[in-house]
Amino acid sequence: MPRHPERQPRVNGPLIVQSDKTLLLEVDHEQADDCRRAIAPFAELERAPEHIHTYRLTPLGLWNARAAGHDAEQVVDALVHYSRYPVPHALLVDIAETMDRYGRLTLSKHPAHGLVLTTTDRPVLEEVLRSKRIAPLVGNRIDPDTVVVHPSERGQIKQTLLKLGWPAEDLAGYVDGEAHPIELAEDGWALRPYQKQAVENFWHGGSGVVVLPCGAGKTLVGAGAMAQASSTTLILVTNTVSARQWKHELVKRTSLTEDEIGEYSGTRKEIRPVTIATYQVLTTRRKGVYPHLELFDSRDWGLIVYDEVHLLPAPVFKFTADLQARRRLGLTATLVREDGRESDVFSLIGPKRFDAPWKEIEAQGYIAPADCVEVRVNLTDSERLAYATAEAEEKYRFCATTATKRKVTEAIVRRFAGQQILVIGQYIDQLDELGEHLNAPVIKGETSNAQREKLFDAFREGEISVLVVSKVANFSIDLPEATVAVQVSGTFGSRQEEAQRLGRVLRPKADGHQAHFYSVVARDTIDQDFAAHRQRFLAEQGYSYRIVDADELLSEG
Amino acid sequence: MSTADHPAPRSLAEALRARDDHSLAALLRSRPDLITPVPTDLTQLATRAGTRASVVRALERLDRFTLQTAEALAVAADPASYDELLGLMGGDDGDPAVAAALPGAVAGLREQALVWGGDDRLRLVRTARELLAPSPQHPSPTGLGPTVQEVTAGMSPGRIQEIVGTAGLASTHDAVSAAAALTALFTDRAQMDALLGRAPADSLDVLDRLVWGPPYGQVTADPAARLRWLLDRGLLLPTAPGTVVLPREVALHLRAGRAHRAPEPVPPVVEPAGTHTPAVVDSTAAGQAYTALATVEELLKDWDEGGPAVLRAGGLSVRDLKRTAVALDASEPMAAFWVELAYTAGLLASDGEADERYAATPAYDEWLEQPPAERWARLAEAWLLATRTAGVVGGRDAKERPLSALGPGLDRSAAPEVRHRVLTLLAGLPQDTAPHADVVLARLRWERPLRARGGTVSRPGESGGAVARPGETGGEDDDLRSRLVRWTLSEAETLGVTGRGALSAHGRALLGAPGPRAADTDGPAGPGGRLPFPHHPASRLEPLSAAEQTVAAAAAARLLTPLLPEPLDHVLLQADLTAVAPGPLRRPLADTLGVLADVESKGGATVYRFTPGSVRRALDAGRTASDLHAFLATHSRTPVPQPLAYLIDDVARRHGHLRVGAASAYVRCDDDALLNEIIADKRAAALRLRRLAPTVLAAEADPATLLEGLRAMGYAPAAESAEGDVLIARAHAHRTPPRTAPEPVPEGPPVPDPTLLAAAIRAIRAGDLASTAPRKVSAGDTAPPAGGELPRTGSAETLATMQAAVLTGEAVWIGYVNAEGAASQRVIAPVRVEGGFVTAYDHTADEVRTYPLHRITGVAELADEQQ
Repeated sequence: MPRHPERQPRVNGPLIVQSDKTLLLEVDHEQADDCRRAIAPFAELERAPEHIHTYRLTPLGLWNARAAGHDAEQVVDALVHYSRYPVPHALLVDIAETMDRYGRLTLSKHPAHGLVLTTTDRPVLEEVLRSKRIAPLVGNRIDPDTVVVHPSERGQIKQTLLKLGWPAEDLAGYVDGEAHPIELAEDGWALRPYQKQAVENFWHGGSGVVVLPCGAGKTLVGAGAMAQASSTTLILVTNTVSARQWKHELVKRTSLTEDEIGEYSGTRKEIRPVTIATYQVLTTRRKGVYPHLELFDSRDWGLIVYDEVHLLPAPVFKFTADLQARRRLGLTATLVREDGRESDVFSLIGPKRFDAPWKEIEAQGYIAPADCVEVRVNLTDSERLAYATAEAEEKYRFCATTATKRKVTEAIVRRFAGQQILVIGQYIDQLDELGEHLNAPVIKGETSNAQREKLFDAFREGEISVLVVSKVANFSIDLPEATVAVQVSGTFGSRQEEAQRLGRVLRPKADGHQAHFYSVVARDTIDQDFAAHRQRFLAEQGYSYRIVDADELLSEG
Repeated sequence: MSTADHPAPRSLAEALRARDDHSLAALLRSRPDLITPVPTDLTQLATRAGTRASVVRALERLDRFTLQTAEALAVAADPASYDELLGLMGGDDGDPAVAAALPGAVAGLREQALVWGGDDRLRLVRTARELLAPSPQHPSPTGLGPTVQEVTAGMSPGRIQEIVGTAGLASTHDAVSAAAALTALFTDRAQMDALLGRAPADSLDVLDRLVWGPPYGQVTADPAARLRWLLDRGLLLPTAPGTVVLPREVALHLRAGRAHRAPEPVPPVVEPAGTHTPAVVDSTAAGQAYTALATVEELLKDWDEGGPAVLRAGGLSVRDLKRTAVALDASEPMAAFWVELAYTAGLLASDGEADERYAATPAYDEWLEQPPAERWARLAEAWLLATRTAGVVGGRDAKERPLSALGPGLDRSAAPEVRHRVLTLLAGLPQDTAPHADVVLARLRWERPLRARGGTVSRPGESGGAVARPGETGGEDDDLRSRLVRWTLSEAETLGVTGRGALSAHGRALLGAPGPRAADTDGPAGPGGRLPFPHHPASRLEPLSAAEQTVAAAAAARLLTPLLPEPLDHVLLQADLTAVAPGPLRRPLADTLGVLADVESKGGATVYRFTPGSVRRALDAGRTASDLHAFLATHSRTPVPQPLAYLIDDVARRHGHLRVGAASAYVRCDDDALLNEIIADKRAAALRLRRLAPTVLAAEADPATLLEGLRAMGYAPAAESAEGDVLIARAHAHRTPPRTAPEPVPEGPPVPDPTLLAAAIRAIRAGDLASTAPRKVSAGDTAPPAGGELPRTGSAETLATMQAAVLTGEAVWIGYVNAEGAASQRVIAPVRVEGGFVTAYDHTADEVRTYPLHRITGVAELADEQQ
């Protein structure tokens, strides 16, 4: 143990280090801000409710910190310094050991042999080379500490090494790609400080993920990164509507013109200096092959932007593994993946480079404050009997589409008459019925893109004030003036869907008034359980749901 | 030791007799097995001190240098002078460190009665000599072979004469004097130098190979010239066909007189590996101590409603241990440690019922009521003294049976001693320095070399004295003792006795060690900060007696108290349905919250999550919604969030909608007027009837009683089949009957306390007096009683002598036959003679006793000078 002067623990620090590797930060403490800054580089913010924020120490987080140039001593120092109680010794040892694992292996460019894996600790190299999964990815051993890696396996080997617990530091650098001048057209607007910070962090780190709340301007972070790279860029988005919006936003915010931006989707196959492609088209499979894969090689891309990285489909991970020589930027509102593939995001896209708690950005006025309400409706007696006897797979559909929800939705729409209202749901029958009763247009899967955009425009212009949408509109539609969202049903317990939907109303309002988010839930059914699960992420982000009874709401309205 | 006014002792018994009480007490303290049972006299004490088992035990307790000294004595002449011994230990050139340490080592051996006699005639007790002297089957650690005398004993006289001749000595007429001449030659440094000076170089190489042992070599029937040269001169002597040995004298000459290649007069210095500030050490240890309490509580709380089953062979099954480990969020060895800790502290035991399970003991409930620091002290004390060792759990015993937690076979008698030693070593370091485990290990090996090697002093086939099992002695670092040292270091850290590897202030107090500052000034201020080291330092921390240990534990608890976090009476409620207790909670609060919410994260703080299930649990426990609201409002620093309030109301709304109860019988009747009648009837009160529905009554009486009762009231009820009759057993905390904590199983008898020691010595002395005292020949006696024979006097004379003794206050010697008819001799000082009884202070038994006069065979006065 090296002798180094130890900082005395605070008698009453803001941080409590738990034995299960969570860190509890008391936000009202006078040192809370200092502490947050000190621990943010290595601890993942897990929950940010009103009084105590929970951070978690994970190997990924610690390696993120290493990748960002922090060492174990700083981490230990920060914990000991701010901790209210003695930090368990075992935990400190564990941190040092975990962080020590990063960087024992490095990927770098060798002047003669190309991509090589080198080690500072020979036994580690021996250990990983003995792994069956590593063997096919490497070539000759140049010297005891160096082994050649097939350039095409750069992503694969990083992914595998991470799984083996020896994450490699990728110093092999990036190709510059084909240069293409892009500049931000900051006329009358400017990047917000946190957006600037995000771009800077990303660029400094090379590749990685930026986590920002919905409505906090992730597109602009993408644009900023593109301006910084000034090279041809491939942007991967979730669907066509989102692709159009990216294009629209890029034309508006940068020096790029319509002609420079191509759309590569089911309907159009344009390849331009900046190309926006959908995940769907990339993952289309014909006769066992992915015909659109050549897109990645069609140009010498200098930057690849992944929108909504938490939705990245599995095949895209596979392609991404082959793109490790190109800069990659991931954008997302939440790194929570329902499939738990966060480690693939870490090894293939890159470590998290920036994140900000939602509430902090709200406090800065960049996203609208929201009032979240869960409305509980009762099933009628006959519905209850039917629900009790329904097949398990039908249960959710049954309770989520109860007729009472319609009445409640109508009451809410009545209450906010004159404001822009979105009604979001999962089941088409339910939505059609609602559309009929509310006398509002319905956007669903079968609605053509032209029709969709027309309706969106009308909604934007205020020509129509109520829009009923299915889950097709979950992502990346930009409805600046929606102030009320009513969720009548959802994709079971999806947390990120809830976050996305809330995001619809979080864009700052022109008059600065509050946004409203209503979630209508059938009481005492699995609908209620799913709702609780869905709300967890937002509740942890500090959004508190009020719960009201439908009767109460109906009698008021 | 030897004093001028005493003649040189001729035996160990005489040597002991010459020792004063203080020095006898020292002997008995270091070898407590000698007074269990208390020997009758010093001769018996000496005999016992020479028994093999006792000597083995004593040798195993020697430190390396003292053992080396004993080994040197075993290869020296018997008796040997101190100077000879010094020569063997320090070599011809002398070694100042050895010269400084040797008096201490010899004194230590003398104190333990392994060596007796004055400095001119040091004698190792015979058994020790046999154990330590080299023999072909059992080579000595010195690597020396037998003496010339021993090897030549079986050789033909002619061969010896030849050797003597070749070596250049005059021939003698018998083998004995020839051997003596050869010995004289070999021990004469100058002559030997001359002899070896003439030796061929390759012959010297052979000697070089054998000099540090093993001294035996193989030769062919026709040895090479270099061997021949040595054999001819007796520098190598044949022991068996094909085997030769380097005689001890030759080896010693070649070694410049040294018996050991590397005498180790000074213990390895315990180098500190890291230094921390006292605050860091103490607070880390306190944090750990608190965690220990929380873990034990959690463990037993988990087992509150019936713990895991007891295996038929005793102990906890592997699966249950795994489950416990998961529940405690710890590794399995750690879980085994916690379980064993709770067991040794007497907090958990098997309930002893037919379906045997582990459960908390009533002592656990008492323990829970104590302040945290005292709870910790109890755990730490139990750990310190326990012979049960959690570390071996998961291994296998000598019969290849798995060792399970809480099961049999976990006792390792060396454990408490090792724990104490390791902690004492830490206490000797400058304040708040943490040594490396290997350094501690090296030091402990030096202190108990034989123990470390698993007791190699014993011949094959014998137990090493310790409960060491064959499977446990392995490589250098793998022997039981080394493992115990490592376990001790890690367990001390886990328990919060140490923090960051350094002994905490409360850990120090637990040992009964002086405060850290005192230790700092006492010890030599060398850079290594090693223990002050006289060989048997009186200042060395001895294990405390039970009473002292209790005091020390209380002191430790006092030191720990301010370091433990103050229990809080509030939590922070949050809208995501969690509550955070930013520190330990007061017990009633923690208990209620534990029911009302699920614990999500533990440590310095506790995070609780409210779920419908947890709220229901609280309602089930008899709380009402308004109770819960009030409870949260009282204990929350912040307003109760609306979702939480709603959750409680929502669950409460549905709670109790369905009712389930127990009834032993029911009365069913279509006519509700009749039921009204029954309920109104006073005589029905005993049946405890309750109306559930207009046509149904439930009764707490069983069906037979109910039938009888109704019949007595003049009705004619008919019994229905018993189906639907529900009985629900109420859950209650499961406790064992009162249980005592498992006693440590020490290897030897405990070290006697001073009172006991003094008493024992008095008893031995008295016995000695009784058996050896020359007695006055009384006037009436024709034949004075010979030693060992009971004195015989007439009853009148007995009475007279007794009465005289009461007046003079003198002690007399009596023969006494007890109620079982066993005769014994006793030395008593009569106090009172009345009613046919003598009340007297019995020197032999060291207490006041009453003897019936008719049982006294006779009485004799003691010789004056013996008093």
